[in-house]
Amino acid sequence: MSAAHVISILSSKKARTMTESSQAMEQWADKLEAVARRQDTQAFEALFNHFAPLIKAFALSSGLQRQGDHLPDELVQDVMLAIWRKAASYDRRKAAASTWIFTIARNQRIDTLRRLSKYQNDISADEIWDLEGDTELFGEIRQSRVQTQVRDQLKELPVDQRQVMAKVFLEDKSHQEVASEMGLPLGTVKSRVRLAMKKLKLSLEALDL
Amino acid sequence: MTQWHPQTEQLVEYAAGSCNTGMSVAISVHLHYCKHCRERVSELESATAVLFETQAPAPVADGTFDQLMQRIQREPTVEPVRKPAPQQRFPRALQSLLPESLDELNWRHPMKNLSVSHLLTDETGMIIGLHHMKAGGRVPNHTHRGDEINVVLEGGFSDQMGSYGEGDFVFRTDNDTHAPQADAHEDCLMLSVVTAPVKLTGPLGWLVNPFIKP
Repeated sequence: MSAAHVISILSSKKARTMTESSQAMEQWADKLEAVARRQDTQAFEALFNHFAPLIKAFALSSGLQRQGDHLPDELVQDVMLAIWRKAASYDRRKAAASTWIFTIARNQRIDTLRRLSKYQNDISADEIWDLEGDTELFGEIRQSRVQTQVRDQLKELPVDQRQVMAKVFLEDKSHQEVASEMGLPLGTVKSRVRLAMKKLKLSLEALDL
Repeated sequence: MTQWHPQTEQLVEYAAGSCNTGMSVAISVHLHYCKHCRERVSELESATAVLFETQAPAPVADGTFDQLMQRIQREPTVEPVRKPAPQQRFPRALQSLLPESLDELNWRHPMKNLSVSHLLTDETGMIIGLHHMKAGGRVPNHTHRGDEINVVLEGGFSDQMGSYGEGDFVFRTDNDTHAPQADAHEDCLMLSVVTAPVKLTGPLGWLVNPFIKP
């Protein structure tokens, strides 16, 4: 088999994978729009079946269950309820469905953790972390390129970088908290995250843009 | 265009939601003025969504979906699309901490050119407040026991390390000593987030400590 032939097989395989993942992204955006337009419960159930177990994993990763066994499932309900109620604000030109759902789960988890702590204040996560993010229309084009790069490169990350990155990005832990938990110097945690971000082609400094 | 930005680690912790309230308010206010950092946060959120989707799914308790649908039927509120808020003087995260008028705040005047007011002490002891410097006013040389963040809201100021305008995010640690001075032509209003009462290095320094305990 010629090298050119191998390359053409590889690239068509790559093209197919990319189409599949972008089709999956479109599918969830369609479902969110069906919920917004017609309160479509079948579309909502499909969203629930896919995302609820991920929201629960996200709740468990922050140790929410240590403050009450029922709390992770309660967070799942709260996040899915917020998705139902806010669906009309979702704009597929601005963000992938998964990004929008992640930001709702993040904000809800922040509010839940604050409510459980002795500390209370009147400011809600939605007031600080704007769900619309970068409000530029067609920002989705740039963001879907980011997601494709991350999906492609994630498997290539060394285990130590991937592990630290997952903790810092998903588990509600600061770099310092991850360093303490893993018994690593703070500088090591910071440099592993930066190396991982570099491999995933995420910008590292404001001036890179 | 703002010139001074949060560090990568600070933006990462903001996008992940793991930073304290003081830092998150300061970054949120900076994002209002800074398109570059908004794009970086969007990029981080998009990347995190991929990590979110690659988690091992955790099965939810039986009956969760039915309970959820019952809740939706009981309280069928669907939020209308949020209209763009009428143009307000300050970014949303800060506006939510403020009364109708800044005059209603309890302003203290630790020195001739400086007024300070306290808005909130967060869960880690970070103190969120406003600092107002009179045009051309200078604050004596001081350092900090912990971190200090200033985000310029109106006007501008400068110190030994640079000059700062609207939206700039100025981060100082306990290694830094500075003597900020407001621009000559207009007053400077800043969001201030500090970890501990400011420690002063000048002879009259104690006067400027905005948050000293009586």
